[in-house]
Amino acid sequence: MTMMNRRRFLAGATAALGTSTLAACGGPVSLPQSLESVAPGARGEPRRGGVLYFGLSTDPANLDPHVSTGSASDYLRQMSYNGLLQYDGDGEIVADLAADHGWSDRTTYKVTLRPEVSFHDGSLLTAEDVVFSFRRILDEKTVATSGPLLDMVETVEAADRRTVVFRLKQPDVTLPFALAAPSSNIVSKKWIESGADTKTQVMGTGPFRFVERIPGVSTTFVRFDDYFEPELPYLNAIVFQPMADDYARVTALRTATVDMIDYVPATHVDVITENPRLRFVSDSSFGFGFVGFVTTQPPFDDVRVRKAIALSINRPSVLETAMLGHGKPIDGSLMPSAFARYPRKLDRTLRYDPEQARYLLKRAGQEGLALPVVTTSSYSVIARPAQSMLPGLRAAGLRVNLNQQEWLTFRASVEARKFPVHSWGTAPTFGDPAALKDFIGSAGTFTRNLDFKDERIDELLASARRTTDPGLRDEMYLDVETRALDLLPMTYTVRREQGEAHSDRVRGFEHPPKGAWTGVALRRTWMERS
Amino acid sequence: MTRFLLQRLGQAVAQLLIVGSIVFFLVRLIPGDPARAALGETATEEQVAQTREAMHLNDSFASQFFGFWGRLFQGDLGTSLVSGREVMQDLPSRLGNSLELVLVSLALALLIGVLLGRIAATRADRPADHALVAGSILGISLPVFVVGALLLMVFAILYPILPPQRFTSPLEDPLTHLQTLVLPVVTLTAASCAVITRMTRSAMLETLTADYVRTARSKGLVESKVVNRHALRTAMVPVVSTATVELTTLIGSTVLVETIFGWPGVSSLLMDAVGQRDYPVIQAVVLSVATIVILVNLIGDLVVRFLDPRTEES
Repeated sequence: MTMMNRRRFLAGATAALGTSTLAACGGPVSLPQSLESVAPGARGEPRRGGVLYFGLSTDPANLDPHVSTGSASDYLRQMSYNGLLQYDGDGEIVADLAADHGWSDRTTYKVTLRPEVSFHDGSLLTAEDVVFSFRRILDEKTVATSGPLLDMVETVEAADRRTVVFRLKQPDVTLPFALAAPSSNIVSKKWIESGADTKTQVMGTGPFRFVERIPGVSTTFVRFDDYFEPELPYLNAIVFQPMADDYARVTALRTATVDMIDYVPATHVDVITENPRLRFVSDSSFGFGFVGFVTTQPPFDDVRVRKAIALSINRPSVLETAMLGHGKPIDGSLMPSAFARYPRKLDRTLRYDPEQARYLLKRAGQEGLALPVVTTSSYSVIARPAQSMLPGLRAAGLRVNLNQQEWLTFRASVEARKFPVHSWGTAPTFGDPAALKDFIGSAGTFTRNLDFKDERIDELLASARRTTDPGLRDEMYLDVETRALDLLPMTYTVRREQGEAHSDRVRGFEHPPKGAWTGVALRRTWMERS
Repeated sequence: MTRFLLQRLGQAVAQLLIVGSIVFFLVRLIPGDPARAALGETATEEQVAQTREAMHLNDSFASQFFGFWGRLFQGDLGTSLVSGREVMQDLPSRLGNSLELVLVSLALALLIGVLLGRIAATRADRPADHALVAGSILGISLPVFVVGALLLMVFAILYPILPPQRFTSPLEDPLTHLQTLVLPVVTLTAASCAVITRMTRSAMLETLTADYVRTARSKGLVESKVVNRHALRTAMVPVVSTATVELTTLIGSTVLVETIFGWPGVSSLLMDAVGQRDYPVIQAVVLSVATIVILVNLIGDLVVRFLDPRTEES
């Protein structure tokens, strides 16, 4: 083979590789440049236009209107779908597709729909669509996130073209919360019955039309011009870009690669608040950490051992170390003051007391107890508090061994009760003390990993859902929280400051102090001209 | 040559069958459940069980295994269990994005590494050589996530002369695309360049003392011709072999680089799929990357044969 041939071979191979690479290159859907422009207007007044680039902490698993995989997936869903109710900027429940809503009697809730609401395909919303949507949610095959929240519903019926009636098995004050949940969306009966793939396609009545989703790259929405609130949305388009890594997400905001991010990690809050170009909006009501015990596994079936561990957690120190002080320690009740009357008298029930912890362990015959704890390394909001608890636990003489596992491995370990103690972090489903059932009610999402059942707590939780008198409900939930602190199936650690950050060009975005983490605020968000 | 090619292609098919089968079994041994990933943390155990059934995860292992290979032989890489999208909808573009990063980085690393290695070898034991050796040790020692984070901090935040841009397709806006390429490519190039510099230096130090080089000098050839035509060309044989190994390392490094710079490549697709136990996506990505690595090694062997015909004879 001659030298020329060798050169030709190398040049040809390089060109072929380069061409195939270029041909294959793909990225987010490109939007017309014209969408980026923002209309002129008075300073501080909402104006039309602009594209918001949003760095999202998680790439949602899929786009099904009724299956939520967390707050990040709710953001996407709420661009193109509406519920009957929603949360406003203060976290209060207000109408969404409903023109009117309320209790007709103690077990009947009536919703009248707004007139002339269009789906993105041009068809009009009817009560039949709403009935179909809730039957789909209640159908076990859908595995809808709101399904368990609506377990009190007996029937959903259309009284006429614009009126929907919910009949309950028994009175239940949590129905409006379930109707406002980010995954209680209304879909087109015709569209679903036509065989649409709801995992990959989106078609609702929401303020933005779905353009395309490329998993791991972007999900793009453009303004829906026939939205029922004619002035909304202000933005021309929103592009969500998944950025799971905390550092990458915050850097993308700092370098203006994106205009907004969710799930600002506590360790980066100061960097953002010190930057004059950036804004941080948050609450301290929702996200919290907890340590759960498998209450049937010796020696954790002994409440003295569980209490000793609870007293060994130096919560102020955990908050300072893990969250750089962004949050609050929880040494009393779980429900924050934003949700209901906060039982201040329970504060300091579990203040750090390693001496008392040692004494309790001695009484239980468990001095120097080996304590295998599992947590996940996948999310810093969970891993960091778990790591920061260790000095306190060791000070009480516990021989703690922290196992950090990847998220789904951790979930499998917890569900299989492979470790008697786990350290986790989550948030209530909605802003009402009724959400306590998930954590201490025997059928609760998190309680089932603890093998915990207390009839008194179950009775109180069930009664409080049926009671409309706010004072009586407060008393019932005080009893629930007090009993939970006595029995300690889990012990709470810190409540974290959780929120979004955005550039100062982004205006009108409100992070609700209660209600639920929700993306509906993006419907009212607008951009200043750059 | 034909026999060699057929032999290697046969080996490649066998290797892919083994890789595919190992991956099929390994991913199913990892604890965790794609059904749980698709439903979120509030799903009940009953809901997870229903979804497992719908995803055919309760089918027998044999049925899943032969189904996987049967579909693959028909060119069907399957459908994502989590997103519901066909794997082929996303894989080519993501693979293309990663290949672009890797190939551009490798080309730069070869260009700079060979040049620096030549300088170091021809100035052996002089300050330039010492500086280049120290620099290459530093380049090899620094992990890509440290280099990437430092570059981002310095050139994107402190002195924003190279701010990262939103990823743009080269077909859509080549200039913006090139801008987005700079920092991740520099990050990837750093370590590979250091390896190639060291390899070129040591190979050239050997060839510069070879008899045929002494003969060339004694014939009165100018030094640059002696070095470039005689010493460097022969020294390229181990460098090409190193480059093929480096390509594999670069593909591995893209996992971190794509995360740091938000590059929508195949590594981030794989990471997401592993996090969600999305078996069809994991299998498709691993098989694709394995195919590329096997092909690159084959091409590397062919290039070595072209550069040094003695290997063909042997």
